[in-house]
Amino acid sequence: MIESGEKEKLMELLRERLVECGWKDEMKALCRAYIKKKGTNNVTVDDLVHVITPKGRASIPDSIKTELLLRIRAFLASAAL
Amino acid sequence: MSSKINHHHQNDKTNGQIFPQPCPHLADFHARNGTKPFRAIQDCLHIKPPGGRAAIRRDSSEVPRCGVCGDSSCPRLYACMACAAVSCHVPPHSSHVAIHATKTSSACSHEIAVDVDRAELFCCACRDQVYDRDFDAAVVLAHTTSIIQSSKPENLRKRRRIDYRPWSPDLRERSLMVNNASPIDSMSSSNGDLPRGLRGLNNLGNTCFMNSVLQALFHTPPLRNYFLSDRHNRYYCQSKNGVRLCLACDLDTMFSAIFCGDRMPYSPAKFLYSWWRHASNLASYEQQDAHEFFISMLDGIHEKVEKDQHKPRRNGDCCIAHRVFSGILRSDVMCMACGFTSTTFDPCVDFSLDLEPNQGSSMKTSSTKTNHSCNCEADGMNSSQNCGISTLMGCLDRFTRPERLGSDQKFFCQQCQVRQESLKQMSIRKLPLVSCFHIKRFEHSSVRKMSRKVDRYLQFPLSLDMAPYLSSSILRSRFGNRFFPFDGDESNTLNEPSSEFELFAVVTHTGKLDAGHYVTYLRLSNKWYKCDDAWITEVNENTVRAAQGYMMFYVQKMLYYKASEKQGTS
Repeated sequence: MIESGEKEKLMELLRERLVECGWKDEMKALCRAYIKKKGTNNVTVDDLVHVITPKGRASIPDSIKTELLLRIRAFLASAAL
Repeated sequence: MSSKINHHHQNDKTNGQIFPQPCPHLADFHARNGTKPFRAIQDCLHIKPPGGRAAIRRDSSEVPRCGVCGDSSCPRLYACMACAAVSCHVPPHSSHVAIHATKTSSACSHEIAVDVDRAELFCCACRDQVYDRDFDAAVVLAHTTSIIQSSKPENLRKRRRIDYRPWSPDLRERSLMVNNASPIDSMSSSNGDLPRGLRGLNNLGNTCFMNSVLQALFHTPPLRNYFLSDRHNRYYCQSKNGVRLCLACDLDTMFSAIFCGDRMPYSPAKFLYSWWRHASNLASYEQQDAHEFFISMLDGIHEKVEKDQHKPRRNGDCCIAHRVFSGILRSDVMCMACGFTSTTFDPCVDFSLDLEPNQGSSMKTSSTKTNHSCNCEADGMNSSQNCGISTLMGCLDRFTRPERLGSDQKFFCQQCQVRQESLKQMSIRKLPLVSCFHIKRFEHSSVRKMSRKVDRYLQFPLSLDMAPYLSSSILRSRFGNRFFPFDGDESNTLNEPSSEFELFAVVTHTGKLDAGHYVTYLRLSNKWYKCDDAWITEVNENTVRAAQGYMMFYVQKMLYYKASEKQGTS
């Protein structure tokens, strides 16, 4: 799936959907809050990723999950033939 | 778990922007590799057109893999700046990129790497992202393939700013003032509840649309100051130009009447008649749209004044209406195929914002899972989106969000020479002194031959920071938070006027589309007053917050002074 470039397309689509529904803005706000709490000089990118990932994964709207799954399934079906 | 190296990146404030000091490894890299070590990376960058994201260029079939473990699925892969070896970095499990960094030879150090998908610098030894001006400049150069604007468009040239100098009248000026003015009766202000300048306006037959906007304009600080300091003297204007239609003269008459201290409601009949003559298509006793009246009035003031003084429409300096309300909008249209961006600047006197019907609904599922409580602060918190309430900042977010132009609206791309699908993004190049936000509550659909009103409640803040909607912020986020000079300006953020605004007037509409009523809430000395045609009453701030805002007026918190060409006038 990666080699055909389909993954890239799906990633772009996912990014677009997440921005549309405000998920990205929410994550940004969470990051800002965390950085404010910890102090700007005491946070690394890894820290942030570690903290944000579980919250991010949990807060993705179901509609987006469904859409992506359907697309992946459709691609696999077409690629298998 | 890898040990966390605490770097106190000192922040260096240059030109109002904050540049973090490089970590020792980055400084070392610079020392070893000459003055502009990152410029070569420009050729290796590929800008993905749809989002404009920068990434390391690779063949479409090439899949980057970690040199050590062969994994290609991890979220972050880094390519070493010295030898282009790709490694992965997955804390806390394994960090092959850190292992690679230890391969420091005398010739080059392998400590600095670049993220292959995001074109961000990473220091393997510090295990954190680092920032470098030179690198960011290279990324931005790779982005801007468009034709370089040779000269700044007319309307962007800045006027020299000067510092405030206090003034007090000398003897001659003092005698002039005493001889030509009469003291305001101080007794009337002691009748004490209402401050000066609050006077009801009689409804002359469905004219609440006009009364509401006029009340807001009477208390627009720059406009009020202009007329009350006799900058447009109606007697002088009439003697110079004869008795003719001049909306500014009529406005001057009304300012004198409103601020004279008389508490009886005033009937703006002469003004109404003048306005009818100016906007003859709207001359009737039917209810009109307040926003339409507002635009028509600004237009009327502009028209007459321009003829007088032959000032070109530059920087919005042509007339007081534009000096107060006019700003500049920037519109970027980016071709999805090649990334070529076409930019235009347009003046505007207000911001018309859409109230999307489905705003907030898609976030309802996540609201139970995040920690945000639904007792949102009224002043523009992003978290209020979780509660499903529309906010003014939400509308502004939507206004400045990149919008995909549909396949039926294909834009002609100069580089591709064909019509392509494109991405459009609006931002504010120059903020007006007074921002008027008009909420599009009245939908007229010519297709379905019907009009309807959107009653949805909109939350608006008392203080508003417009910084995130400025072109500088929007562009910065488009390029992924890089440091770079904006538009070739030497000007820095310190010289820019403040982007903070204060609410001073709200025009609300209640009722149906064809049978409704306009009311204005004014903020004077931190108290709120309801202006309902001829009736003025003091109200609680919460009443205003709960009202259905149709037009909101915000004024810049800090006003600045422009250098004038002539002595004595500005």
